[in-house]
Amino acid sequence: METIFVIATFTVPEKFGASPQSMLWLLPLVAAIAIIYKATKVPAIKAGNFIKEVTILFGSIIVFIIIAALTLHAFAWLITA
Amino acid sequence: MMVLRTREKQTLFLFIVGLLAWLVPGAGHLLLKEKERSIIIFVTIVLTFCVGIYIGSIGVINLYGSTPWYVVGAQIMNSPAVLVLGQMTTGGAYPVNGWPNEIGQIYTSTAGLLNLLCIVNAVYLAYLRGTEPARG
Repeated sequence: METIFVIATFTVPEKFGASPQSMLWLLPLVAAIAIIYKATKVPAIKAGNFIKEVTILFGSIIVFIIIAALTLHAFAWLITA
Repeated sequence: MMVLRTREKQTLFLFIVGLLAWLVPGAGHLLLKEKERSIIIFVTIVLTFCVGIYIGSIGVINLYGSTPWYVVGAQIMNSPAVLVLGQMTTGGAYPVNGWPNEIGQIYTSTAGLLNLLCIVNAVYLAYLRGTEPARG
């Protein structure tokens, strides 16, 4: 119950706009997704193996996002050029 | 009659596992004696949710406002505690707009969806253990 009241003290939002740096907020979210997904999939949790699996998934998602972003950027450039 | 009673017990157990996993992230796995898994789930989901609240303030939990139903639904999957936060923000007491609002909503709703995955996983694990033949 105390946790709820601690969370309730977060009453002022951070101030930032749409900038290339704000895209970095993506990284913790991808890490969370990779950790939870692997926590539900790995048959037995051993520290070394778990970290390896999470790192591979984290890297794969980031690489896929970069490829998707470059492809969309190339499309936008072709259409607007 | 015995089979029926056992089946009823099994269904009740699955329900309790699912309910616990929703009440506290990771508690369903803890009930199944998956201690490491439950700690990882609890820490990750609570941290993700808190980061969302930190970025956008508790104003991102806007249960009765203009927030789309699917965002509200995903946020509630974190825990019933979200309903308590929702009561505090009723009437637009903590306005938040723009990117902080969007990123806060993305974080909190993703945390909820990840918890939904854990709830389903805990119930499935409990089901599998209930149907496995006894060892030994």
